Formats: sequence, C-alpha cells, structure tokens
Amino acid sequence: MNNNQSHQVTHETPDPSFIEEIRKMLGGDRILDCIQCGVCAGSCHARFAMDHSPMQVIKMAHLGLKQDVLSSSTIWICASCYTCASRCPRGLNIPAIMSGFKNMAMKNNVPAPMELKPKFHKTFTEIVGKYGRMHEPELQMKLIQKTSPKALLHNASLGLRMFRKGKLKLQPSKLDSSTHFTEVFKKAASAGTTE
Amino acid sequence: MKYAYFPGCSIHASAKEYAMAAHAVNKFLDVELVEIQDWNCCGAIDAVYAYNPLLSISLSARNLAIAESMKMDVVTLCSACFFTLSRANNMLQENADIKGKVDKAINDAGLKYAGGVKVRHYMDILTNDVGFEKIRQQVKTSLKGVKVAPYYGCLLVRPTGIQRFDDPEHPTSMDRVIEAVGAETVYYPDKTRCCGASLAITDEEVMMEMTKGPLVTAKNAKADCIVTPCPMCHFNLDAKQKDIESHFGIDIALPVLYITQLIGLAFGIPPKELGLNRNVVSPGNLLQKVKLN
Repeated sequence: MNNNQSHQVTHETPDPSFIEEIRKMLGGDRILDCIQCGVCAGSCHARFAMDHSPMQVIKMAHLGLKQDVLSSSTIWICASCYTCASRCPRGLNIPAIMSGFKNMAMKNNVPAPMELKPKFHKTFTEIVGKYGRMHEPELQMKLIQKTSPKALLHNASLGLRMFRKGKLKLQPSKLDSSTHFTEVFKKAASAGTTE
Repeated sequence: MKYAYFPGCSIHASAKEYAMAAHAVNKFLDVELVEIQDWNCCGAIDAVYAYNPLLSISLSARNLAIAESMKMDVVTLCSACFFTLSRANNMLQENADIKGKVDKAINDAGLKYAGGVKVRHYMDILTNDVGFEKIRQQVKTSLKGVKVAPYYGCLLVRPTGIQRFDDPEHPTSMDRVIEAVGAETVYYPDKTRCCGASLAITDEEVMMEMTKGPLVTAKNAKADCIVTPCPMCHFNLDAKQKDIESHFGIDIALPVLYITQLIGLAFGIPPKELGLNRNVVSPGNLLQKVKLN
C-alpha cells in the first residue's frame, strides 16, 4: 500500500502546453496562483500513501512534467476530503485539480499505479448508466474479478457481515424512467467525452 | 417544515437505518421529507466526475430540475450527496458554459433547471430550522453519562462554496445536538479527519490506516460510541471495523451510530424502529447504559 518512497522524477521533456490544458479544466483556472507554501502537503490525510505530496504535484504541473503528474499515485489516492482546499491560502481547488488529472490520465491511457482505480471510475459510471442508481454488490463483483482468491474470501466475509444485517441489497434499485434518465445519461456522456 | 428529500443510493441499501431513524425523529420535530420522484445517483463525489465531469454535473442537474418544481429546499442525509449536488448547483449557477451544455442534455428529456434550488444537509435543518431548544424539549429518555465522539468527517462542513452552516476546522453542530439530547461529548483530535471514503473499494489498506485514526482516538477518549452524519463514514467505521481490528491486531469494539439514531434513543423511540439492530458493531453496551439511567 505505501507508495511513499519518493520515486525519482524522470527527466522528461517539459510540455509547455500542459499548464494551459490544466487551466482549461474545471477548477484548474487558479493553478498558477500556488505559492508552494506546503499547507496542502502538511494537511493531507492520505499523504502517507502518495509518492508525491499535492504541493509537489502542483509544482511538477507548473514545470510541464505531464507524464510524471499523470503517472503519480497522488492523483489516484486523493480522497477528495477537501482539507487542503479549505486551508489553501490561495484558493486552489486541489481535489478538483486531482480529479482533472485522473480524467486526463484515463483519456490518455496513462497506466495508473493502482490498476483498480481507472476501472473503479469506469465501472461505477456504467452501473449508474444501467440502473440510474448505484448497485454496490455489482460494483464489488466487477472490481474483484481480477484480484486474488484471498481478496475474494476477504470480500465474501464482508458481504456475509453486510447480508446478515440486511445491508446488502441483492436487487438493484431502478428508476421508472418517467423523466427519461437514459436520454439524459447518453446525451451528457457523449457531450462530456468529446470535450 | 417540508423539504424535497434526496435519499441517495446508500440510504436505499447499506444505510437504511439512518433514514429509518430520521423519519422516526422527524415526527417529533415537525419535519417532513417528501422524496424527489424518480431521483437518480448524484454522481458520488468524484466517482463519475473524474471519468466524465459533465456527466456528473448533468446527473445532479436532473435531480435538481425535478426538485425545482417542488418549490422546497432540497435536503439530503448523506454528506457525499450533499457535496455532489451542491457542487453541481454552484457550477450551474456560476458557469454559463457548463449550464449551456447541461441544459442541452436535460432539455431534450423535457427537463429544465432555472437554478433556483437550495441544497442542504439534514444537520443544517436540525441546526438552523429546528433548533437545539426544540430538540431538547422532546427528550424523554435520559442519556446522562453517555459519552459520545462526534465524527464530522469531510464533506458535511469542508468544501468551499457549499451551503455552509458550520465551521470547517472546528465544527460544533453535532456537539450541540449531542448536548441537547443530554449526552456528553468527548474531545478527541480526529473529528474532522478523512475516513478514506471510497478507497475502501480500491485501496483498502490505505482506507484502514485512515479510519483507524478516529476509531482509536475516540476509544482512548473513553467514548461509548461515535456518531456520524454520513453513510460512507459509517460504512468504514462500522462495517469495516472488524477488518481494521484484525489487520492491525487491535481491539476497538466501538459502536457507531448515525446522529439520528442517537436523537431517537433520547426521544424514547424503540431501538428497532431506529434500525439499531442493523449496526454491525453491536450497540448492546450502550443500550444497557441508557436503560440503567
């Protein structure tokens, strides 16, 4: 789990268009306002599991190190807790920037250090598209297929615990589509991918 | 007081007891939650957003559009839904480009969102519309001596730009509810730390390290239970507690209640009606302590 052995920043050729790409992303317009104060790095509750701190990732972005940013574990470990954003003296929306990087990494097929991550976002979105609502057991099942028997057993134990307490809903909750959910989903999904 | 109620996916599955308890206490507080018809998933923080931001905002917009015709504030029990719907609402109100694109997606389905809906969390309703005095007046069972660790987590109080009703660094709304129902709050340093949220699914060990923090410090502060206003936090603190115990070789056994379940106990509502039999970590010792009062 701990990816905190700071991996060497590669000597990739800086991409000067990266910063403009970020500034066009939702929530990315203020990225150049960062003063590298380190409040985000010191506040981050998940820093122990990241290769670079959020502050370092932002500096790497300033330098145009696109591949290093998009392949860092930091962008995938960020849990959107907003501690950094609520403390940032320069008003950067750091979790939104991290989400934007995840989006860019997925679009550019940059492999994530944790292979489940991109799959989580894709599968979650597909299940919502199918039923209109999340169906947790299906998400778990789809994400577990590739992992070890030990993980399977571990999940079965959690599943049983949830089932005994009536917390595992086997049937998905569906919409009656009276207000055309599928139409909205399809239109927005294709408008969003062609961005 | 009537509100357009957005349950969210967890409330219909793993977190049903949160809503059962909310509906039970609402009767004492003149609060009525009218479910938004045919609501869909809000987009779940960054689960959909990281994959396709415009889709995530449109999913929230569909809910807001349906709710707008109800002419009431939108209320949700879930901190994650509260955040996700609020973020979309802000963007739709402030970003004309996004608004235009989202309108295109929802207009063809016969929906329109003018942008006039207020998104609020249930804790905001208790704090500002109901008030602590009204809660105090309904107490029938003494919770004297019950020590409670309020766990605010992240998205109830933290993000900027949402309908803020509490301090992001030192929130007090749950503390005040706990005091209003006659229980004691304990100090512990982790009340606004992050539980790791959906890392439970993708990076379980990271989540366990994060959730261990508040569980251990609340236990060390001699709390009888933790209370939370969020289904995601509840899942990690309660349903995953056994895994955390065995992973780190520690003993916690700390019941985790939804804030509505604690209020319900003080109002004298039977534990079963509050869904307390659905909590994974048994609240047995806590119920015993309440009974002895």
